Amino acid sequence: MMLLKLVQDLFKALHSEGTPGQVAAGIALGSILGLTPLFNLHNLAIAALILLFNVSVPGAMLGWAMFVPLGFALDALFEALGRQVLLETPALVPLWTSLANIPVVPLTNFNNTVVLGSLVFSLLAFLPIWFGSRWAVRRYRETIGARVQQSAWYRALTASRLYGVYRLFRPDT
Amino acid sequence: MKIAIFRWRAVVPLVLFLALIVAAWLVFADRVGRLAVERSGTAVLGARVNVRAFHISLLRGNVTIAGFVAASPFDSLENLLEADELVADLDLLPLLEKKVVIDRLAANGLRFGTSRTTSGFVPSSGPGPTSQVMANARSWAAQPALQVPVLQLATGKLSVDSLDPRRLQTVQAAESLAARADSSSQAWADGLGSLDVQGTADTATAFARRLQGAKPTDLGLINDARKMVDRVKQTRDRLTTLERGVRAGVGTLEGGLAALNAARQRDYTFAQSLVKLPPIDAGAIGWVLFGPAAVHRFQRALYYTELARAYMPPGLLPREQPGPKRTRRSGTRVEFPRERRLPGFLLRDAELSFQLSADSAGPRRYAGRLRGLTSAPALYGRPTTLEARAPSVAIEAQFDHVREPPRDIAGGRVRDVALPAIRLPGLPIRLAPGRGDVSLGFALYGDSIRGRWHVTAPTATWQRDSTTAGGQAADLVWRVLSGIGQLELTAELGGTIDHPTLHVRSNLDQAVSDQLRAVVGEEVAAAEARVRAMVDRFADAQVAPVRAQVARVTAEVTDRLQHQRQVLDAAQQQVEQQLRRLTRGIRLP
Repeated sequence: MMLLKLVQDLFKALHSEGTPGQVAAGIALGSILGLTPLFNLHNLAIAALILLFNVSVPGAMLGWAMFVPLGFALDALFEALGRQVLLETPALVPLWTSLANIPVVPLTNFNNTVVLGSLVFSLLAFLPIWFGSRWAVRRYRETIGARVQQSAWYRALTASRLYGVYRLFRPDT
Repeated sequence: MKIAIFRWRAVVPLVLFLALIVAAWLVFADRVGRLAVERSGTAVLGARVNVRAFHISLLRGNVTIAGFVAASPFDSLENLLEADELVADLDLLPLLEKKVVIDRLAANGLRFGTSRTTSGFVPSSGPGPTSQVMANARSWAAQPALQVPVLQLATGKLSVDSLDPRRLQTVQAAESLAARADSSSQAWADGLGSLDVQGTADTATAFARRLQGAKPTDLGLINDARKMVDRVKQTRDRLTTLERGVRAGVGTLEGGLAALNAARQRDYTFAQSLVKLPPIDAGAIGWVLFGPAAVHRFQRALYYTELARAYMPPGLLPREQPGPKRTRRSGTRVEFPRERRLPGFLLRDAELSFQLSADSAGPRRYAGRLRGLTSAPALYGRPTTLEARAPSVAIEAQFDHVREPPRDIAGGRVRDVALPAIRLPGLPIRLAPGRGDVSLGFALYGDSIRGRWHVTAPTATWQRDSTTAGGQAADLVWRVLSGIGQLELTAELGGTIDHPTLHVRSNLDQAVSDQLRAVVGEEVAAAEARVRAMVDRFADAQVAPVRAQVARVTAEVTDRLQHQRQVLDAAQQQVEQQLRRLTRGIRLP
């Protein structure tokens, strides 16, 4: 089921009316959802950004689905990175101390090594993911995109109910 | 073509989504809160914490917890405390900083030490402050200084360690004496040989024969005869000197033989030390009977105090704690306390209503007050205090973690209360103290530890477990204890955490020790006789040959000296006899 959803997301994103930049922005924002532990306040903000900004929602879903396994795989790296910035960089301690005593900010769990490490990593990776995704979408549409769009199985895929939901959030081009 | 940046039509679904979150909060907040209290309470206490009902009202700013039960980390079927109801007035704004500040807490119906039907233990949740504190408390109680020789009193038997003959001083001294006898014998033989007594005597005898044909006018020969007499005398003088040395040497050897007897006495003492006696002095009896119970109470006090230190540490440095359990890695949560700001958790004031001893006399209600319970004492700036006073109850505690070193002190005294039973270690006997007075004091300054547990039970009774025999010691202790109807027990703890000292005494000590001494005395005498026989067997095997060797060496050298002296005397006599014949008694110059 998850695999089917991933395939749906993939093709909806690639063939959506959005520009490659909109799809790539969706993927980049979705990667933050996938790389960081999901149930944290910052992800609510990311979800709001995905909905409010005119980016590709299927792209965000695709980015989320693609980067969740990577997030699990890189947890050890995230923890080391978070420990480095939270505990082993004395110059940053005043910043964390200030943030920890500002209302709402502590609810983001930024003071957790895995959360902060993964967030820092995903923010650093945001632009590379965006540019990389934009190039990949553009290449796809220039090469095999039209043929895939004409295929029978693609039409069957896009006829599903989920596609109807997607149309509500498709990017304005 | 211009692309719009915002997707305005998503605002409505987003608002609906947020409304859904709010609705979910309203529906599930109580359940989430209950789980949060249970999970965090369990993680901190190290035992199961259950809540029957939880309700949070953000409008009124309070939380109500009903049926709060915290299990004991030390007894799976006992609760540390139960509370009928906890009502907390929350300060709402700090919640936005993820801080819980309770201005006032009303705790009603607190009960301690109640029983439970299911185990309150929880599996270890990996490395964390609580599991570390529990491990420390267990290793503290397992120190040799706090161990009680349970089995020795339980069996009432003596055990004798193996006796290694090489460790006996008699054997070592005998071997040394044998070597000395050998070397002395050799030295004396060499001394006699160097004197050449026989050669001197033979020369003198031959000279006497030459004098038989001499004339009185042969002055040269007479003069030589006198020189020969002088030579013989010199040899005898040297022989006399050697005799003195031999006598001294023989005396030393005989002294060595006498030392063997002293060494054997020391070996007897050493061998007796191998007899492991049950503790029959009065001081040890109290330790054996009530030591484990005392250690158990002090261990609990140490655990809760150390727990307070782990979760209420002094200072303002960033603090690490394990992150939440989730599918992803938990990570580490770091707290960053800041001066003049609120701590992560603060209970300003709690009014406690509790009851003790729900026994035949009926439960009695008391009131107490807890102030300043906080996760960052340095921010709160005052120690945490607990007090409860009533005509028959006095409980006071102060946890001062404002600055290093932390200073914790707690004490309580309860009069005329139903006391819990005490099982005597290793014996099928249980003390039912009945109603009495109990006090427990505990202080931890840095790592310096002090404790005192005192029990007075004027109507104590004893119960014997009929299913377990227990042996001779159990019979003996039972005979003694069953006739004693009161208990006065004091246990005092001192030293440091790493090197504690514990003294336990009770009114039972002397009675039990007297009885034990009478019974065990016969066994002790028999065991000591056995080890003395073992010492004698090992020692005699070495000492008898040495005695014979010394006697032989002494006799030989004495005989030889006597013989040599006789030979010299005879030779001198012959020369002097011829000399008197030649000079006819006239002494010539």
